[in-house]
Amino acid sequence: MILDMSRIRVLGPREDLQSVLGRVQDLGLVHFIEPTETESLCLPYFTPQQEQHLRNVRRVVEDVDTAINLLGETPTLSRRAIEALALPRAALIAGRTRRKLEALEERRRQLEEERALTLKFQPFFSTFEKITTSGLDLDGIRVFYLVLRGNGEQELSRMRVALRSSLGDGFELFTQPSASGESAMILAVSAADAPKTEALLSEAGVQPLSLPDQFKEGGAASTIQRMQARLGELPRDLAEIEVERRHIATARGRDLARIQASVQDHLATIMTMGKAVVTPRAFVLEGWIPSAVRADLERCLQQSFGDKIEVEEVSSEGWEGEPTPVVLKNPRLFRPFEAITRMMPLPRYGTVDPTPFVAVFFPMFFGVTLGDIGYGALLAAIALVIRFRSKPNSKLRSVSEIGLACALFTIVFGFLYGELFGDLGHRLGLHPIIFSREEAVLPFLGLALALGLVHIVIGLCLGAVKTFRGDRRRAIGRAMGAVMIVLIALALLAAFEMLPSRFFTPLVIAVLVAFPILVVAEGVLAPIEFVSTISNVLSYARIMAVGTASVMMAVVANRMAGAFGSVVVGVLFALLFHLINFVIGVFSPTIHILRLHYVEFFGKFFSPGGVEYEPFRHWSPREGAV
Amino acid sequence: MEGLWLYLSAALAVGIPALATGWAQSRIGPAAAAALAEKPELTVTVVLLIAIPETVAILGFVVSVLILLQGGG
Repeated sequence: MILDMSRIRVLGPREDLQSVLGRVQDLGLVHFIEPTETESLCLPYFTPQQEQHLRNVRRVVEDVDTAINLLGETPTLSRRAIEALALPRAALIAGRTRRKLEALEERRRQLEEERALTLKFQPFFSTFEKITTSGLDLDGIRVFYLVLRGNGEQELSRMRVALRSSLGDGFELFTQPSASGESAMILAVSAADAPKTEALLSEAGVQPLSLPDQFKEGGAASTIQRMQARLGELPRDLAEIEVERRHIATARGRDLARIQASVQDHLATIMTMGKAVVTPRAFVLEGWIPSAVRADLERCLQQSFGDKIEVEEVSSEGWEGEPTPVVLKNPRLFRPFEAITRMMPLPRYGTVDPTPFVAVFFPMFFGVTLGDIGYGALLAAIALVIRFRSKPNSKLRSVSEIGLACALFTIVFGFLYGELFGDLGHRLGLHPIIFSREEAVLPFLGLALALGLVHIVIGLCLGAVKTFRGDRRRAIGRAMGAVMIVLIALALLAAFEMLPSRFFTPLVIAVLVAFPILVVAEGVLAPIEFVSTISNVLSYARIMAVGTASVMMAVVANRMAGAFGSVVVGVLFALLFHLINFVIGVFSPTIHILRLHYVEFFGKFFSPGGVEYEPFRHWSPREGAV
Repeated sequence: MEGLWLYLSAALAVGIPALATGWAQSRIGPAAAAALAEKPELTVTVVLLIAIPETVAILGFVVSVLILLQGGG
C-alpha cells in the first residue's frame, strides 16, 4: 500500500536552522522540497565565503570517493563510530591518499599494459630471433619488424617488387612463419633509405610493429632476452604495488570511511539549508513526512528545542495536484515483490500500489505454468542458497524470496498435475489430482483463461475504485466493463453446458443491457476498449502454451533415457535435457508473467509518475543517504 | 488425405504466426539493443516490447492444438 503523507512546515529562529537540521537528519523522516518564495520570505543566498566552503566540501567528497573507489572495500562503521573530522584535516587526508592511490593505479596500469604488450610481441620475437641468428649483422642499419596474416606470399612478392624498384639491391628481407600461423619478417635497409621505406610500407598497407620504448634499441636476439627478463620482473613489481595498496587500506581505510560519511552528511546539510526560506530572524522549511510518524518529529523537536520550533501541517487544499513522494509499505511476506513493482515507475500518490496483487498472482501463475515437484524443489534449493548468501534488504535477497514463493507454488501445482520431472511421477505412482497436462490440453487452457479473467476483472475493479473519486461516470464504465466480461464468460459456460443452459438467454440479455450503459459511461471508444480487454483475457492462454511446452520437453527428456543403447548415456542425456528445460522453464514463464502483469493487469488501473521519497538522513555507503 | 490437411493446417496455424513473431522480434531486437546501450534503465520496457509479438505465436499454438483436438488428431 501507499502510505498517507502529510505536507509540513517547520518554522523557527534563523540561528537554530543548522541544529534543527542536525536533529531532523538523525530522525531521517522528512523529504524536503524547494520552497515557494513570497514577498517577506526569500531564499538564503550564499556569501562568497560560504560558496568557497561549499566548493571545498565538494572537493573533499570527490577526493574521498575516488580514494575509496581505488582502495576497493573499506570498513563499514557504525553511526557511533563516525565523528566529524575538522574539514581542513579531512581535506588533507583525503587529498593526499587520493594522490598516492592514483599514482599507484597509474603505475599498475602501465605495468599491466607493458605485460600485455610484451606477451603480445614475445611469439613474434621468438620467430625474429630464429631469423637473426642465421648470421645477419644489424649494426648500422634500420630494421623494420613486420607481421603478415597467413603466409602473405602475395603481399611479400608485391613488397619485394616495390622495394627493388625503389631501393635497388639496398635491402634485405627475411621471412619466417610464426607459431600463431602468421608470417614474421625482418626488413633491413640502410638508415638513409628508412624514410623512403616507411612510405612504401604505408602505401602497401603494412604496419611495422611498434615496440615498447625499452625494447626499441638492439637486435631481435637481445630484445627477446630482455623481454623474458622483464616478464619475470613484472609480477614482482605488480605484487609490490598491491602490498603498498593494502598498506594504505590498513592505515587510512577507517579514516576515509569516517571522512566520507561525515562530509557527505555535511554536504547534505548545506544543500538542505539551501531549501529553507528565511527572514532576517526566522527560517521556514517545507517538506513531506509519512502521516503516521509526524507526531514523532514534533515530539523530538519539542524535546530538543522546546517551543522555539513550530511544526505545522499544510492543509491538502494548499498542495493538491503537486507531486507527492510515494512510500510503499507492505507486509513482510509481500515486501520482496516490491522489486517487481519498482521495475516500473512508481505509482502516483493517491493511486493503488499493485504489490499485494503481484505477490499473490505472480508466484501463482509461475506455479501454474511450471507445475512440477522436481523443478520446484530444484528452484527452492537454488533460491535458498541465494537467500543465505545475499545481504539483507538487497535486491538479490528479494529475488531469492520471490524465487522461494514461486518454488512453493510450483511444488503445489506439481502435486495437482501429478508431475515430478515430467511424467516420471506417473511412472513412480504419482497421480494427477486436477488433470494431467500431457493429455488435458483444453482443461489447462480453460484454467489459464479463468485465471486471466479473474486477474483482469480485479484490474478493472481497481481501476474503477481509483477513478471513482475523480470521475464517477468513467468509474461506472470501468465497473460495467468488468461486469460484462464476467457475464460473457458465464454465457459461454452456459452455451457449452458447463452451467445449466437455461441461464444462457438471461445472461445474453444482461450483456445487451450492460452494453449501452458502457457506451454512455465511457464514450464511443468503449467498444474498442472492451474488445481489447477480451483480447487481454485471451493473452493468458500463454500460461497454458508455455506450461504445455515445458511438460512436453520434460516427457521427451525422460524418453531419452531409454532411447540410447547405453543406459548411462541415456540417463546423462536425459539429465542434460532436464537441466535445459529447467532453465527455460524458469526464464520463459518469468518473462511472460511479468508481461501479463505489466501490460494486461497494470494497464487497467496503474498510474505511473510517483515521486521517490528521499528523506533527509544520514549517509551510508550502501544506500547513499540513510 | 483428410489427416494430411488436418496436420498441414495445424502446422500452418502455428508456423505462420511464429514466422511473423520472428520477423517482428528481428526488428525490435536491434532497436532495443541500441536503446539499452544508451539507457540501461529501459530494460523492463525492452523485455516487454520483445515479449509482445510472442502473443501471436502463442495464440497460433493454441489454435493449432484446437485444430488437432477438434479434428481428432
